[in-house]
Amino acid sequence: DDKEEGKEVTQQWEDDWDDDDVNDDFSLQLRKELEKKT
Amino acid sequence: IETARIFDFEEFPVRDKVTYMYYTGRLEVYNENFLAADQKLVYALIHCNPESKANIRMILKYLIPVKLSLGILPESWLLEKYNLVEYRDVVRALKRGDLRLLRCALQEHEDQFLKSGVYLVLEKLELQVYQRLVKKIYIIQKQKDPSKAHQVKLDVIVKALRWLDMDMDVDEVECIMAILIYKNLVKGYFAHKSKVVVLSKQDPFPKLNGKPVNS
Repeated sequence: DDKEEGKEVTQQWEDDWDDDDVNDDFSLQLRKELEKKT
Repeated sequence: IETARIFDFEEFPVRDKVTYMYYTGRLEVYNENFLAADQKLVYALIHCNPESKANIRMILKYLIPVKLSLGILPESWLLEKYNLVEYRDVVRALKRGDLRLLRCALQEHEDQFLKSGVYLVLEKLELQVYQRLVKKIYIIQKQKDPSKAHQVKLDVIVKALRWLDMDMDVDEVECIMAILIYKNLVKGYFAHKSKVVVLSKQDPFPKLNGKPVNS
């Protein structure tokens, strides 16, 4: 179908990405930084 | 003098409608009417010739910054497939709350973003990245001590920013937090004397969910 690809492209978006996960590398590094005593 | 005839948009050929929506959509991007821009560019995307990868790419070049402004992210394969990898780090920065990465990405692709006219739109994503960073700080605090997590010391934010190579003092951070609260990206208030932001216990970091940031 001609419109398939256009439609497919319009569906490839995430609107619920803002999760509470803090186990990624960035967050783990951040945690370390915050725990450092200055 | 002939009176202006009222044209019915639907009467025009599809290709003309797509072209019209693409250009007026771009205009809405410049005017920062992101909801209207979103609607027009999505129309162009759905109705354009699916064989023409170049056209899809042209539309996405504007639609992606619009969607980002509304808090919606593209799937990474979309960026790969249409060779829009200049947005990859911008998306990553939003997900992480990584202000350093956002700045680097804007700097690295400055020429491209300026040329297409989306630089200013992308620059404004900084507020969403700040929101994400403060949210992460909050979650990390919560895991350590849930009872005090909703009190975020400005000092702690200063520390996080310094780690990201952004040298700001407490007053500057207070100013940023005030903007976030004003724009409804953070719900809370200041305990000015003790230099603490007290976050609302209910939904302290409202999601945009397809709505633009309050201006």
